[in-house]
Amino acid sequence: MHSLVNYAILINMEEKLLNIREAAEILGVSIDTLRRWDKSGKLVAVRKDGGVHRYYTEKDLEVFASDLIKLAYEWTSDSFELPARFYCANSAVFQTKIIKLQNALMQSPQFSNIVSLIVAVAGEIGNNSFDHNLGKWPDVSGIFFAYDLNKRLVVLADRGLGVLGTLSRIRPELKNHMDALRMAFTEVVSGRDPEKRGNGLKFVRQVVIENPMSLFFRSGDAELRLQEGNSELSITRAQINTRGCLAIIKF
Amino acid sequence: MKVELKKFGTTLISRQAGKEAFAAFQPTLKELTAGENIEVDFDGVITFSPSWGDEFLTPLRDQLGEHFVLLPTDNPSVKATVELLEKISGKKFKT
Repeated sequence: MHSLVNYAILINMEEKLLNIREAAEILGVSIDTLRRWDKSGKLVAVRKDGGVHRYYTEKDLEVFASDLIKLAYEWTSDSFELPARFYCANSAVFQTKIIKLQNALMQSPQFSNIVSLIVAVAGEIGNNSFDHNLGKWPDVSGIFFAYDLNKRLVVLADRGLGVLGTLSRIRPELKNHMDALRMAFTEVVSGRDPEKRGNGLKFVRQVVIENPMSLFFRSGDAELRLQEGNSELSITRAQINTRGCLAIIKF
Repeated sequence: MKVELKKFGTTLISRQAGKEAFAAFQPTLKELTAGENIEVDFDGVITFSPSWGDEFLTPLRDQLGEHFVLLPTDNPSVKATVELLEKISGKKFKT
């Protein structure tokens, strides 16, 4: 206990402690969610002088919110309240946030040649989630959308039907997630098909293999990897089956 | 007649927005004189994607045929989108 007290004092001297209400506001989640995360160990609070009140350092919050891939992966595995800054409840919110990404990319001359392609790829993946799941979300509607320009990555995820769930409506013969991903990224759905919305991922594939980008895309228990200069699709089976889709774009 | 796409927005990426743009543009078509071309100007558009393009460019090309023309652009997202839309439909856009 003594060392914990010292730790709390040390933190207090070096860094301001935020109470649970302030931390909830910063992350954009409810106080109850923070209490649950503290109990489960997902985001552990600091107790001052062995007291009962929960406190957080700004650095703890920053570290927690910076692991975008982990957050998105955990959300597709087990739904929880997402920090508001990463959650798009509908396509209008997504449009607003992706324009912010576009503006941020345009500030950096290093990205000037591929701004429109990064945004178009992220836009196709994010809008696919909304278009294919409208009125059919199994539990939580909306998508996870976050980016870190220092790490050069964009992360998107949804808890929707997944690629197999969507494509099996027009291709009932599809039996597993790997075949569904292969079809989604390779087979052009013609205008005569009843489903018009199936071609976005072909665009994504073409753009990624022709530009300095890479893509990890997961749906169900299938994982696809694409990178510049390699038109071969690498699709493997994961150990566990997760909800919806998860996409990581690196550039 | 020239259509400046930037008037529909500079980030043209969703199917819904493409549909709305197509519907909003329909009354303008009535102003076309016989034999007049529609020229699509991408100047000022930052990002363009197949979802938007498939709801706007594809049906207008089907409606206007050879009188529907795409003006040249250096925007890589426009080029990649047009390439895919042509592949899907099996028809080239007039440039």
